[in-house]
Amino acid sequence: MISVIYALLFYIATLLLVVGLAVKIYQYAKTPAPLKIPTMPAPLTKTGVGFRLFREVAFFESLFKSNKWIWLFGYIFHLALLLVLLRHIRYFQSDVWWWVALIQPIGIYAGFAMFLALSALLLRRIIIARIRYISSPSDYLMLLLLLGIAASGLAMKFVSHTDIIAVKSYMLGLLSFQIGDLPTHPALLIHLGAVALLMIIFPISKLLHGVGIFFSPTRNQVDNSREKRHIAPWAKKLEEGEDR
Amino acid sequence: MKRLLVLLMVAFTLVSTSTLAGDLYPDIPKATGKPHPEGNEYMRINHMDMLKHDRDTVVRQGVRDEDNSLAQCISCHVVKDEDNKPVTIKSEEHFCRVCHDFAAVKLDCFSCHNSVPTTPLQSSALYPHSNTELDGLLAYLEGVAK
Repeated sequence: MISVIYALLFYIATLLLVVGLAVKIYQYAKTPAPLKIPTMPAPLTKTGVGFRLFREVAFFESLFKSNKWIWLFGYIFHLALLLVLLRHIRYFQSDVWWWVALIQPIGIYAGFAMFLALSALLLRRIIIARIRYISSPSDYLMLLLLLGIAASGLAMKFVSHTDIIAVKSYMLGLLSFQIGDLPTHPALLIHLGAVALLMIIFPISKLLHGVGIFFSPTRNQVDNSREKRHIAPWAKKLEEGEDR
Repeated sequence: MKRLLVLLMVAFTLVSTSTLAGDLYPDIPKATGKPHPEGNEYMRINHMDMLKHDRDTVVRQGVRDEDNSLAQCISCHVVKDEDNKPVTIKSEEHFCRVCHDFAAVKLDCFSCHNSVPTTPLQSSALYPHSNTELDGLLAYLEGVAK
């Protein structure tokens, strides 16, 4: 029964994540950017913009420039999350890639780093009065969800194990639309439930910053307002209409 | 949305009646000897902690409980090749490797310990090689005694 519920949960969560993200990306791509507003100093060429976005995504450059503490904990968290996600690839392929097998131990350390960095970010929200004032329930929800995922994952590694062979065959089964038996270990059910919830709310939450960064006019525009006139397609149409 | 959900439910109950394909679960080799009193499920989940606990009691307290030694695990969970010889950890068919490879969990017991059944002395980490030298010594001592 629990196996079927979790299977449905994961299919629905995946569907919502993929379709939701596609809709959001379409919406972002269609949103007009009528003004030339790159944050200065900005790159003068398209290649430069690519390089700037790369620095933004890979090193969180503008966050580093604005706040060192958030950058430190945020960067540790994101990097750790990446390593932890890569470590989990092993549950989704019969023959595990050699480099996925290689990074397994690093992923465990990353799990701790993720938990500590998230705790620091949560403490920041609670302790600093002005941050607490502007914090909404959703801000806490994201941190608590991710903390719950990290804690339940670490608990399965270090406190009370679950049968990961059974978990993996269940996951492989889901990939080929077969519902096997999921172990009913409490930490596992919390872990998977929280992950599915995170996938579901991803396209309707602040977590969208992951794709939103690529569509930010202040980051993705070239500083060429003198060389080339910036005009939105709809504005161009209006102008042409006036000429006629 | 509701209709979609019902459709999904029906689709998956149909799918879930089909049995799991064999290749989704590793083919765990059968062992010789008596079954574990704790049950296989318990051993699958907790064998790593039991081995670690054993390591601590053996190395730090000097308690050698042979019933729960790694050598004992190995002697029942032996997989034999076509020539009826036990396979070592180098073979993908080795009992430990079947699941450890499947889950990409590194196994480092056998960089010191023997991965095939042997006499108790040989399975010790201190004597990883054959004990012909010891046999020779014993024969010599016996000869001297006579």
